[in-house]
Amino acid sequence: MIEEIILFGTIKSGVYALLALGFTLIYGISGVVNLAHGSFYMLGAYLFFIIGTLGILGSGTILSSVLALIFAVILVGVIGSVTYRLTIHPVLGDEIAVMVVTVCLALIFQQVVILVFGVTFPPVSWPKDSFLMTSIRIFGVPVLYSRILAFVASLALFAGLLVFITKTKIGKAMRAVSQDREVAMLMGVNTERLYMLTMAISAMLAAVAGILITTSFDMVAGSWMWLHPLALSFSIVILGGMGSIKGSLVGAFIIGYAEQTVAISVPEGGQIISVVPLAVMVLVLLLRPKGLFGKRIEMEE
Amino acid sequence: MALSYVRRAYSSFAAHVFDIPPRLMVFLFLLILLAVPITGISDYYMGILISANVLAIFAVSWDLLVGRTGQISLGHSLFLGIGGYSSALIFKYYGLPIWITIPLAMLIGSLFSVLIGFPCLRVKGPYLALVTMAFPLILYRVVKWGPLTPIFGRVGIIVPSFFHFLPIRQQVIAEFYFTLILLFASSVIIYKIANSKTGIVFMSILDDEVASKACGINVTKHKLMAFVISGMFASLAGCLHVHLLRIAESSMLLLTVSFIPVILTFLGGIGTIYGPIVGAYIYSILDKYVLGQMLPKLLEQWQMTLPTEFEYAKLLIFSSIVVILVIKWPRGIARYTTDRLEDLEEARDLDERGPRIWKRYKQKNRN
Repeated sequence: MIEEIILFGTIKSGVYALLALGFTLIYGISGVVNLAHGSFYMLGAYLFFIIGTLGILGSGTILSSVLALIFAVILVGVIGSVTYRLTIHPVLGDEIAVMVVTVCLALIFQQVVILVFGVTFPPVSWPKDSFLMTSIRIFGVPVLYSRILAFVASLALFAGLLVFITKTKIGKAMRAVSQDREVAMLMGVNTERLYMLTMAISAMLAAVAGILITTSFDMVAGSWMWLHPLALSFSIVILGGMGSIKGSLVGAFIIGYAEQTVAISVPEGGQIISVVPLAVMVLVLLLRPKGLFGKRIEMEE
Repeated sequence: MALSYVRRAYSSFAAHVFDIPPRLMVFLFLLILLAVPITGISDYYMGILISANVLAIFAVSWDLLVGRTGQISLGHSLFLGIGGYSSALIFKYYGLPIWITIPLAMLIGSLFSVLIGFPCLRVKGPYLALVTMAFPLILYRVVKWGPLTPIFGRVGIIVPSFFHFLPIRQQVIAEFYFTLILLFASSVIIYKIANSKTGIVFMSILDDEVASKACGINVTKHKLMAFVISGMFASLAGCLHVHLLRIAESSMLLLTVSFIPVILTFLGGIGTIYGPIVGAYIYSILDKYVLGQMLPKLLEQWQMTLPTEFEYAKLLIFSSIVVILVIKWPRGIARYTTDRLEDLEEARDLDERGPRIWKRYKQKNRN
């Protein structure tokens, strides 16, 4: 039992970290609390399924699935930046308006998914006969290769993004904007384009997380599935401290283990699993409102 | 020709309609609503108006908290759920009559809002919205949790309607008057609070929290006060909602329900208190009558039927309307009249500028 908690908790936490990173990135850089973050997670899973079943890129092989993943993620990034430009950008700076607009966007995406798919819930998974669906025994617990892939891929992406933010010129511009927007503008940063790029990256991270979680934990896609990742991402981000990248990694692991513990040890724990991150968040706000590594709206070096 | 006549008639109407004092306008509106059952419209349309009344109470309470105090809550369905479930549970376990459970539910709602308000109001801005959003989600899961089904029921808790001893038609009419009176009473109370000295303090918190703190205002106390008042009236709405549906079910804790006051308030005009009432009527009539009745009938003439998924498209339409309203017209529909009123007043006496609320405060201080 303890092995299960540690193993599955670790795998889940890795993907959660990716999810929370997108949320904290867009908040840290442009100050937008993107309540439509879960929708990009959902859209990622759905687009992955759609592209997979259309079979333009071939079907049934791992290569085709990976291509479908890449296309779905890029598509979600485009959707993210376009919706940002059309709806969030005009109200930027007004907290209430931004949150109302993003909740609206989440509901719009939800309803579009319901309208397109109705009551059918497409199963999102890797090709059934590939080696990813076979399992390996770690400490006597069978673990699917797809879950290991999810963990490794999300950690690799996390590290890649850290390098992107710290080493490249665009990353430097992002940090500059998060510290002082006006001065960054004076230094010649095109903030509007940068915000659109950030939103695209954030949406793409959410989409990757969505695809990895649904494929590795054999879930079906449904119109309700945006809510839990949203709750997860904002509770992780509040636990770690808004706008802090290190915080979102640590927070993801804390919440991932807590969730897995509740899921295994509490009677009928699977039903109240989504309470865990929210309860943790409420506790954090009671005890330490700025989170573990919280500063103000600043990206850390 | 005809258009210019209409335009002239409208401008003369618009020039004089604002001469009617607002109090008289409210009275006329109430009179029209009171006369509705006499016209003998069917129970279905009465149902639309009844639900509009309940939604209006809910949205007005949200407007006091968000529009006047600036404490954004995206989880107002929590109070709807607390009000509804507490009245249903009191009925289930103690069998008390409804006339006692309503005030008890309001009391429990305000107690819970004190409990939740203390930790929540320590944080502000986006944090507050996220925390308030979390509570109904938690309660939703708890209510649906397996080990608790004996308490909350598998589908919900069955409760009687308010006037179960009357025949159906009278029951609907009585419910309409009952909800209308409660709406009138609660919105007048909230309007009076919002325009009192306390309400002005709420506005100052909305404008600048740090500055009002510097002026020696106990910000936490006033925020909590707004939270409690808002929670109390929202739980009243929840209680009414449960007894009108005759069942207390978990669906009233959903995020989409928290979102209804946002739609109504942005339709009517945020921060006006009377705006959400206008928004509630517009929303209910659009939702149930125009999209639910008129459109299918219209399409029937051309041998077309609406697909069954159209039910889901309604929320899509309303969310899109709110996005457009927030971006393009953030002052709302009901503000149109007051904007005109303020224009006219400004033209009449230029020395007394500013919102009317400040003027009233000045007048009170002068005496």
